[in-house]
Amino acid sequence: MWGAVLGVAGNVASGIIGASAAKKAAKAAAAQKRALQQKLKSLEDNRQEIINPYAGFTNLSSSISNPFVNLGVATQAAEMQAEEADISLANTLDTLRATGASAGGATALAQAALRSKKNVSASIEQQEATNSRLKAQGEQQMQQARRAEEIRMQEAGAAGKQFVFGQTERREQQQLDRTAALLDAAVAVEQQAKADEVGAITGAIGGVTDILGGIGI
Amino acid sequence: MIDSNAMGHNADYLSSNPNYNFRILERAYANTSKEYAALKIAVENNDCASDNCLLEIARIKQLEEAPQKSIDFISTVLSEVSTVEEYNFDPNNNYEYTVVFCILSSKPGFSMTDGYNVTMYLLHDGGQDLVFEGPAFEQPLLLNSNSITALLESGTSIVASTPDITKGMMKLLSEIGVFLPEDINENNELKATAKIVEEFILKDKDGKPIYEVIEVDDGMGRNVLQYDLQKIQTKAEPFIKSEISGIMSSEQQTIAAWNVYLSEGKYWSYSEDLPLMQDKKDLFTEKYKDYFMNNYLKQFTQNQAPTNPQDAAVFDIKEAKMAKAQAFIEANNL
Repeated sequence: MWGAVLGVAGNVASGIIGASAAKKAAKAAAAQKRALQQKLKSLEDNRQEIINPYAGFTNLSSSISNPFVNLGVATQAAEMQAEEADISLANTLDTLRATGASAGGATALAQAALRSKKNVSASIEQQEATNSRLKAQGEQQMQQARRAEEIRMQEAGAAGKQFVFGQTERREQQQLDRTAALLDAAVAVEQQAKADEVGAITGAIGGVTDILGGIGI
Repeated sequence: MIDSNAMGHNADYLSSNPNYNFRILERAYANTSKEYAALKIAVENNDCASDNCLLEIARIKQLEEAPQKSIDFISTVLSEVSTVEEYNFDPNNNYEYTVVFCILSSKPGFSMTDGYNVTMYLLHDGGQDLVFEGPAFEQPLLLNSNSITALLESGTSIVASTPDITKGMMKLLSEIGVFLPEDINENNELKATAKIVEEFILKDKDGKPIYEVIEVDDGMGRNVLQYDLQKIQTKAEPFIKSEISGIMSSEQQTIAAWNVYLSEGKYWSYSEDLPLMQDKKDLFTEKYKDYFMNNYLKQFTQNQAPTNPQDAAVFDIKEAKMAKAQAFIEANNL
């Protein structure tokens, strides 16, 4: 039928139909290529921003302090001990005087009182020093634990951000890769269709020149 | 027009002897042999009208190139108008191209006997015209080879093809990142058993799904999952946008997609609405998203059974309500 429509031999008509089909395929592939190029651009434009997972981190050095700075020096105990020894000695001497005891007895008592107070004083001082040291150690341990927890939380936050970014990035990249692969395929289809078109037209020309041989080409 | 079976039941047509011998090329080249021969002789004998036979030589070249140009032109027109055969063709395209297709493909009712004719003219500038005439044309339709070639080279068609939005949306489902990779087959299509991933299921503070109860029978109900549609939409947004930008790479195809799939009867015109204004592009984007969410994604967010088999069982709605009330009273020491 096509031969009659065109007024040429059937093989020419077939060539034209072939060329027409090839043109249609090339046009469709070109349209798909354009659409995929646009899609790829859009995907690239809408890609997530590169994040710095450590961006929200704070400098923890300010939370570090010297726990020994307020360590108590037990001078007060020594002063108290001296005062108490003096009072004690005075009291003992008054008693000795009142009872008429000998001077040697008074001296012995005074020395005993002094020794007693010295021991008490030393004990208090030792306890206070121990307490201060323990307090400092506790404070130090608490600060270390707190810093370690802060670091752990910050690292967990960074790892979380990095995970989310990584997953999103992976999915976006997969989509970009798929679209790019489809684009390559569309380009190949378009090229093949154009080659088919040239082949079909070249085949048809021979027929046309036969039919229209009168023009001598 | 193309798919109508009416002619099969038309007695006048059946008794007629339609003539499809338009002989387009034969008639176009009827006098070229004489002209070509005369020019050749003039050049060979140096008996030309122009200096150094420049005009004669140029015309000989035109005539030699003309057959290829004719084949190229006719095949181009045929490939363009054959778009009308596509299953989702937009009938809002210029109807004259459907008539052209019917003539060139010898459809019943479009023969010379029916009053149609096609003529090709070889122009002196090397261009060619195809003129279609007949009852369906208000005036003869003229197509020029140079115009058509320029149009096609710029990526424009005389008949808009409609992008397959349904296929595009099926593919989009697998791309939006709300399904597990194992729910997508090797062709990048979603499997029938696909389920939206856990992170989009609405949950209470204890991490338990917040179910919607639907009545399945007389007083009996069952739980169905609820989804964070806003979160899903946010996730899908860039992928939907990229799909839309792909469609919008051709404005006439955007109109075709609108008319065929999204317009709900409010068609856009190829002659009046091109170039496509921003308000129409925005409207297209909005409708496309709605269409995707309602016709493609909704099936995965509605009536989805709980993943926990215990929660999936059918129960008495009244009893469940009473049990819930009792639990509240006990929990609050009321």
